[in-house]
Amino acid sequence: MMQSYWFGDIEEGTCQPYSGGAADSAERILSLHTSMEHYVPPDWKAALDCGFCSDRADYLSKLRAVCVLIAEGKIREKYKSKDTDLLQMTRTLDELDTVINLLTERVVEWHQVRQPSFSRKYRRTPVHSLVRMIAQRSGGGLGRVTGDIERLSETRTVLAREVSARADEVMPNCSALIGGLVAARLLLHAGGLEPLARLPGSAIQVLGARTALFSHLRSHTPAPKHGIIFQHRRVHNAPREVRGKVARVLAAKLAIAARLDFYRGVADLAFIEPAQARIDAAGEVP
Amino acid sequence: MIWIDGVLVSRGEGGVYGERMLGDVRIWDPYRSKLSALYHLGKGVELTNDMRVLYLGAAHGTTVSHVADYAEVVYAVEFAPRPMQDLLEVSRRRMNVVPIMADASLPEQYAPLLESVDLVYQDVAQPDQAIIALRNCIFLKRGGTMILMLKTRSVDTCREPGLVFSDTVPRLASGGLSVKDSTWLAPYHHDHAAIICVKE
Repeated sequence: MMQSYWFGDIEEGTCQPYSGGAADSAERILSLHTSMEHYVPPDWKAALDCGFCSDRADYLSKLRAVCVLIAEGKIREKYKSKDTDLLQMTRTLDELDTVINLLTERVVEWHQVRQPSFSRKYRRTPVHSLVRMIAQRSGGGLGRVTGDIERLSETRTVLAREVSARADEVMPNCSALIGGLVAARLLLHAGGLEPLARLPGSAIQVLGARTALFSHLRSHTPAPKHGIIFQHRRVHNAPREVRGKVARVLAAKLAIAARLDFYRGVADLAFIEPAQARIDAAGEVP
Repeated sequence: MIWIDGVLVSRGEGGVYGERMLGDVRIWDPYRSKLSALYHLGKGVELTNDMRVLYLGAAHGTTVSHVADYAEVVYAVEFAPRPMQDLLEVSRRRMNVVPIMADASLPEQYAPLLESVDLVYQDVAQPDQAIIALRNCIFLKRGGTMILMLKTRSVDTCREPGLVFSDTVPRLASGGLSVKDSTWLAPYHHDHAAIICVKE
């Protein structure tokens, strides 16, 4: 039986070396269908005997070259998908939030030691106004850092709009149900559009509620009702007694939406409209 | 293996991942590398310069680079694109690292690229680690060694690591691997066991 290896084909002890260029060789290797039942690992000496390589070092260097070529092609292919850029954008957005919050907390503390009479108690100043006030009044390092926070917040607003717009494009059906930002975060937690499309509704429902889920599985605390999807108004605005139900119905529809997004990539009104109605109906208190 | 005053080192070009050097040799940190931990625990097999190694779950190529310092050739299999970029960089500097971008649970994807090897080293974060080991046995010479780094938390996060371990051992034995030795990698790594088998 003929065995095909990267360097050529071997049939009944005779080796037919592959003579094409590196790119063609990579393509040929990817198209080989090896049956593991009959597979025998090749002896590199077969490649030597049929003149494919001049010695062991040559064999390995040729193999390395073609493997690098294949790997680079596969990496390029993976990064080509539309969701990779969105994943990085969303991650950056969430990290910006963390950084802005941390820095804001810090500069408020810093401001407090400079102004012994300052207190936030009984004041309803929104945080961003506070930051602006500190930026205007302070000089030196504190003023600079606070100014940077303001600029970061602007960047954050622009980026959030961009994430939302991109999510509408990459995952139109999911975005129609829960909005671009939350859809992007779901994507982030699943690790991409394909893994998200493979998840069942029950998993989507608790995406992002890892701690609660594992505490439930380990020590039988109550199961989490919702993860990231809680961020959508339909879930967090729902009356308490039906919130779990809304989360469940929404998650089930999202599972379908994710599959439409991955396999079809265009918004399907015939799906979206009845799905919206069904989710709204779940939110009504009987 | 090369030991200098109780420190495991390997001989090769440094600066792969900011590892510390001891003179002109590279320190192989047991807290970073599970294979190094295994050697520090007094187990594992001697790596020699005529060895062909199949390394499943090569990741960023840090441990791979140390193995490559000792062995003749390392076939490094990794699936994810991000770590693969680093692994490619390692292989550009190390002539004996063959980078293979494929799923270790589907050996038919990379079978045409391989040859028979003396050692299979597996360190993958998958639930079906025993199956992956058995499927890759076909590349192992008779009498060759399989070192399986069992990440018990990847098999099942909720089950007791000890139970996961005692489940895995008989499955390996039923697939033609005889288990010679095994150890937990504490204190270097938690919930990780090393299982050393020989192909019969």
